[in-house]
Amino acid sequence: MTMTADLQLWLLLSAVLFCTGIFGLLTRRGALGMLLSIELMVNAININLIAFGCYRGDHTGQVIALFGIALTVAEVAVGLALLIQMSRTMKTLEIQHAKELNG
Amino acid sequence: MTSAILPLPLIVLGAPLLAFILVACTPLKRRGELAAQVVIALSTLSFAAAAMLFWDQLESPDAIQRWTTSWMPTAGVPLAEVGWHVDGTSAPMLVVVGLVALCVQVYSVGYLDHEPSASIGRYYAWQALFIFSMQSLVLAPNLLQLFMGWELVGLCSYLLIGFWWRKPAAAKASVKAFWVTKTADGGLLLGLILLYSATKGFEWDPAGLSTSQLNVITLLLLLGVMGKSAQVPLHIWLPDAMQGPTPVSALLHAATMVAAGIFLVVRAWPLFEGAPMTLDAMLWVGSITAFLAACFALVQDDIKKMLAFSTCSQLGYMLAALGAGGMAAGYFHLTTHAFFKALLFLGAGSLIHAMGTNSMKAMGGLWRSMPGTFLLFTIGSLALAGLFPLAGFYSKDLVLESLHHNQSWIPLGLLMAGVGLTATYVGRSLFLVFGGTCRSPDAHPHEAPFSMMFPMVILGALTICAGFLLVGPFHTLLGVDGGFHWTPLGIAGLVIALSGIGFAYWQVRNDRSISALQPVSALIQSAPLDRAYERVWHGVLLATGRAIAWIDRYVIDGAINGFGWACVVLADRAKRLQTGRLDHYVGALVGGAVAIVLYSVIVYSLWGGGL
Repeated sequence: MTMTADLQLWLLLSAVLFCTGIFGLLTRRGALGMLLSIELMVNAININLIAFGCYRGDHTGQVIALFGIALTVAEVAVGLALLIQMSRTMKTLEIQHAKELNG
Repeated sequence: MTSAILPLPLIVLGAPLLAFILVACTPLKRRGELAAQVVIALSTLSFAAAAMLFWDQLESPDAIQRWTTSWMPTAGVPLAEVGWHVDGTSAPMLVVVGLVALCVQVYSVGYLDHEPSASIGRYYAWQALFIFSMQSLVLAPNLLQLFMGWELVGLCSYLLIGFWWRKPAAAKASVKAFWVTKTADGGLLLGLILLYSATKGFEWDPAGLSTSQLNVITLLLLLGVMGKSAQVPLHIWLPDAMQGPTPVSALLHAATMVAAGIFLVVRAWPLFEGAPMTLDAMLWVGSITAFLAACFALVQDDIKKMLAFSTCSQLGYMLAALGAGGMAAGYFHLTTHAFFKALLFLGAGSLIHAMGTNSMKAMGGLWRSMPGTFLLFTIGSLALAGLFPLAGFYSKDLVLESLHHNQSWIPLGLLMAGVGLTATYVGRSLFLVFGGTCRSPDAHPHEAPFSMMFPMVILGALTICAGFLLVGPFHTLLGVDGGFHWTPLGIAGLVIALSGIGFAYWQVRNDRSISALQPVSALIQSAPLDRAYERVWHGVLLATGRAIAWIDRYVIDGAINGFGWACVVLADRAKRLQTGRLDHYVGALVGGAVAIVLYSVIVYSLWGGGL
């Protein structure tokens, strides 16, 4: 019973984090802010994974969450590198200026 | 009397085909003299087989030798059959074709001796192909094979008219002959298609056909006949066809190929017999051609053109006889005409060979220097004029009798007038060529060599005796009652012919041209008719060309251009999706994800996870 109530609380936290991330992704103008929002969403998912793992009483969720963190690190590394290049070439991180790839 | 090894019709067909393949596909074609010997030897074999078939047929007139094999099997049912069919109708034609072809081939050895060797090889290859084509036309067991042979002889005619293809006139004449006959053959082909759709076959059996169907089918067939047999108004190609070597004119354009039209009517007589409208058309076309072409011949100075118009005219007699229901008369006239007209052409060839010109005005007094040719040409001419007891007299009398029997008075009048005109132009040519003195002082006419004289002697002998010898057996073969009897009509014909010759004598002696015929002589060059045809053809071709150009420009090009244009426009629309702005992409991504979630929630809640 408590396990179920706990799970629901964790899921609620995760959902709030995820929605915050989406909101940030949609409303932020700066590329750095968008990257941070993505991080929020990824972490919401990690929380989800660990919560379900605890609920089921095995370690699979934690293992996947670890993998997810490692992947996020790599993603952030690439993302930040792109942002540095962007700020060097375009002198700005405002995302609406990056529209040279239009059709 | 049958061959133990091979069926005789197979020899008739196979020998010339073998000769053609041998000459056309081996180095023989460069060795003209050798090629000539091969072709003549195999043609002799073919003729011998044909003669034996004829003999068999005379002994048992009702017998039919038939062998067929299926051709072009379609869905189990063959389209038609090919093979041979020897009966009383095809046997005489077999002999006529074989004999005249053989005579012409022997004659050509002398006539073409100045030609280069390769040309002679080519000539004999076409000659062999012609015999094969003509005999397969004659032996055809149905109208489809007859049509194939018909087109093949048309091809041979084209090739042989254009024998001297370096001469522009000859090249033009061959193309003209091809076009005119092919146009007419369109009708023939249409008739055959109608026949097939009505009876599911190409037989000449009218069973199951109504009179109106027969009328339509045979009228279309008649169109092909008029083209091939050079009937007014499709006669324009025959005078031009005289550009070919004279032996070719003798064989193809006088004796056999142009008679193929008549033979078609005789062969498919059961169909034509039941079509009264077509018979009437034949009667009128034939008699008008007989009269008009005789008028044209009367004002010709070119000896070959005179003979060409005379051929048109005589073919008109045959067609008129057939139209009047005199099948045997028309066919018999075909046979005798083949002999005496081939003789006349070979004689003309001998004159041209000696004088180097076609113009009768340039000849004269040749009876002294060329007595043999004079004698034979005179025999042929008198047979053409229809004098007793030569072959032409009998057949022409039968033609007139059949019209008299049918009570077609106006055509009979035209033909009687034609008899007078024929005798006049025949007499005129005789007196011009052989009478008086030679009008070309530089010429040194000489008698033709033996290889040219010998075939003429054979044909001359046939011209003399074919009439009274063959008139009886002919009717037996065709299974028709009748024969030759002296009638007032025959005597009237003789009187008209004799007075025609007398008139010609008076005319030549007093050096009169026939001024009353000047309007006709304007027509003889057939220039106005040519021009009219040309204009029609130009119109048709240009209109077709314009229609095709329009379709090309607006339909085909339009489709292709339109396709390209649509691609450009659609791509232009589609590329606007790619704004290049990250926030748009993110929005689309999130919106899409939300849409998918919403969709699954709605579906789950409505259908309980069933989908």
